[in-house]
Amino acid sequence: MARHRGRGFTTIEYPTGMNQNGDPSQAWVKLKPDGRVDVFAGTVDIGQGSRTVHTQIVADAIGVPYDWVTMDNTNTDSSPVCTGTFASRGTFIGGNAVRFAAEKAKERVLAIAAQELEVDAADLVIEDGEVFARGAPQKKIGVPDVAAAATWKYGELITGTGAALKPFASLDPETGSVEVEPHSALSYAACVAEVEVTVLSLLEAYDVGRAINPTLVEGQIQGGAMMGLGLGLLESCYPYYPSTDHRGGEFGTYLAPGIEDLPDIKALILENPSVDGPFGAKAIGEMANNAQPPAIATAVHDAIGVWITELPITPEKVLRALDRKAAGEGEPRREGKRVIFDEEISLNAVGSDDAAVRLTLGG
Amino acid sequence: MKAVGARLPRYDGVGHVTGQTTYVDDVRVAGMLWAKALRSPIHRGDIMRLDTSKAEGHPGVHAVVTHADVPKNVYGHLEALGVPADEPLLAEGEVRWKGQVIAVVAAEDEATAREAVELIEVEFEEKEPLFDPRKAFDPDAPQIHPWGNWYNHFEGEMDRRQIRKGDVAWAFDQADTIIQGVYRPAAIEHLPLETQISLSVPESTGRLTIYSCTQAMYFSMGVVAAHLQVPLNRLKLVGGTVGGGFGGKVDSATETITALLALKSGRPVKWRFTREEEFLVSSTRAPWHIEIADALTDDGWILGRKTLTLHDSGAYSRFSPYGLTKHSFHHLGAYTIPNVHFDGYVVYTNRVPTTAMRGFGVTSVSFAVETHMSRIADTLGLDPFEFRLKNANRVGDTTANRVVLQDPSTVPIVQAVAEAAGIELAAELRTMSSEPRTGDLLPEHLVSQQVLEKESH
Repeated sequence: MARHRGRGFTTIEYPTGMNQNGDPSQAWVKLKPDGRVDVFAGTVDIGQGSRTVHTQIVADAIGVPYDWVTMDNTNTDSSPVCTGTFASRGTFIGGNAVRFAAEKAKERVLAIAAQELEVDAADLVIEDGEVFARGAPQKKIGVPDVAAAATWKYGELITGTGAALKPFASLDPETGSVEVEPHSALSYAACVAEVEVTVLSLLEAYDVGRAINPTLVEGQIQGGAMMGLGLGLLESCYPYYPSTDHRGGEFGTYLAPGIEDLPDIKALILENPSVDGPFGAKAIGEMANNAQPPAIATAVHDAIGVWITELPITPEKVLRALDRKAAGEGEPRREGKRVIFDEEISLNAVGSDDAAVRLTLGG
Repeated sequence: MKAVGARLPRYDGVGHVTGQTTYVDDVRVAGMLWAKALRSPIHRGDIMRLDTSKAEGHPGVHAVVTHADVPKNVYGHLEALGVPADEPLLAEGEVRWKGQVIAVVAAEDEATAREAVELIEVEFEEKEPLFDPRKAFDPDAPQIHPWGNWYNHFEGEMDRRQIRKGDVAWAFDQADTIIQGVYRPAAIEHLPLETQISLSVPESTGRLTIYSCTQAMYFSMGVVAAHLQVPLNRLKLVGGTVGGGFGGKVDSATETITALLALKSGRPVKWRFTREEEFLVSSTRAPWHIEIADALTDDGWILGRKTLTLHDSGAYSRFSPYGLTKHSFHHLGAYTIPNVHFDGYVVYTNRVPTTAMRGFGVTSVSFAVETHMSRIADTLGLDPFEFRLKNANRVGDTTANRVVLQDPSTVPIVQAVAEAAGIELAAELRTMSSEPRTGDLLPEHLVSQQVLEKESH
């Protein structure tokens, strides 16, 4: 039997943060008397590693080693407001909140170090847990000594608070136009899928602005690719939608991709930095399952010459589409300059003729 | 060493894979009760009788809650964004989906709670359900909400989300070819390993501590406080570590119920969904119905696009109006199309209410747009890379909502993936940049748009 191979290519974009904004994240940072840093923020870690990423951002924003920083995201008493872990907002908006809080705490570290060293705070930098004067590196004091001086000598708690919020973008209900950008940075991705009965490979490129932690970015890309495969090929709560029959109520009857379905995944990470994200970061979380389903649908068409536009593209649907093709059906209808695909599943075909809200794509 | 950019291991990775991480189900407190729910066995109908007295008298049962126990039973997750409340926490009068919660029991253990659920007496009068959003607009369709079968409060007044930009009639008139298609991505499960769960503990101070798997502690705290009508300082949400979310744990599925049962019984109460509940009655990604017609020139310009979207919300609104709006904002994909006409409806059906899931609103439209783009390239005999690069977002282009793009990456991302795939792009495509269009890439229909945008800014 002939093996049919096909290739499909797609490009997508995805916004950072809640659509129309208005979704705050807040944070506060304090120093222990030995210079170790506590971060309090409400960002829930749903497995993507946001606590690790926030910790990395705070470490570099102050200039102390990563393992000096501890983040507490465990409860609503100690953590200020976080709208939540969704809308691909963790690294960008949550990350900005902890960055702003860390920068405020850093200002106090520099001010106290300036008093201790008797130099202007503007001439000081912090690197790897040490404060030193630019151009005079012998003039230095460790962050632990600064925190100790604050605690025991000056009677000060070194702390900083931060809040990230982009104001709500209201829109015109008639035209859909907005006055301000209704999201933070846009991320972009592209995907090439190769199929041969099964998906063989996914080649993907993601512009994430700045990869705060490349390993965790790859984790998002690989996990997203598996979810994209599920969307494209296997998963459906309602296998005969819109009917609710044959719902799967367990792992054995709801088919999701397993590790044996993992294709060859190659991912490129592009770093075109955002202007206002932490260290130039943009979002990666949600978009990671968006490019594969259409790439797979396109590759399936390339391989066997049928368009399957009702997901998932199961073997049953492929066989039915091939049967239709063999019977000379499934071709688009041509009417003047119009090429009409999928007419039999459209609203016009299925709904009644006089539904008042009908929008026809014709005319 | 700089931390940003470093491949540092996750702080919790070892704990997760060795079973050392404490999830909500690992938290056990003295005197803890377990909850089980009575759920609607039918898709749609009126509740004619509900009697929980036998369940309340069952040995080992400490509390049963129904709609009558909830200070504010109907509360909308997005009331702050102008989405009116439409979903009761516990069903009252009518059920609109199979699995909707009617009453919940707290008992000494899960088996006793299940026995007590069986003792609740309930009678229904079944009504015809609606499952196909394409039939929701028919005059003889079952009407599943008093106000109709689709959401009618966009910006307080509109029964659809619409976008109008440019002159779409001109575009379709000018077009050499119009290509239209229908795209239907499916509902899928979130499939977290950790099913929905919470534990509410009444403290001696009068506060409630709620251990929760929520993806959004402050959001869930607000939901509980609204239903209970208490200030935020009565509640403490404990969480931050979740065994898989993917959007499904933005819904606060159990928190308010365990809080009510804890207050009523004076005991800590835990509710954990079974795997079957997680599959069959926890919310899903929505099924979508998307129709696109593009007005095209034979050399591959997209002059205009008309789109119709039906967002199958399930029985209630939840986050769907938000999801459809986000969908509409991104329905041009990574490309610039000057003339745009979008209509989208949030349609109610008698299925499990749908909710946010990874890529909310956009995963569906990315599938539709990109499959449509491939189809156009194939139908017109265009190179799929060239077709996309030609229409790519460029600096200064405007989105469907008239946002001016400052730094789009369509061009470099296409070039990068083409190079990595070993695809030879023509020289002018290989060297293309995201800078504003000139020469052959600035045809008359885009010149007029640029002038227009300059005037309006």
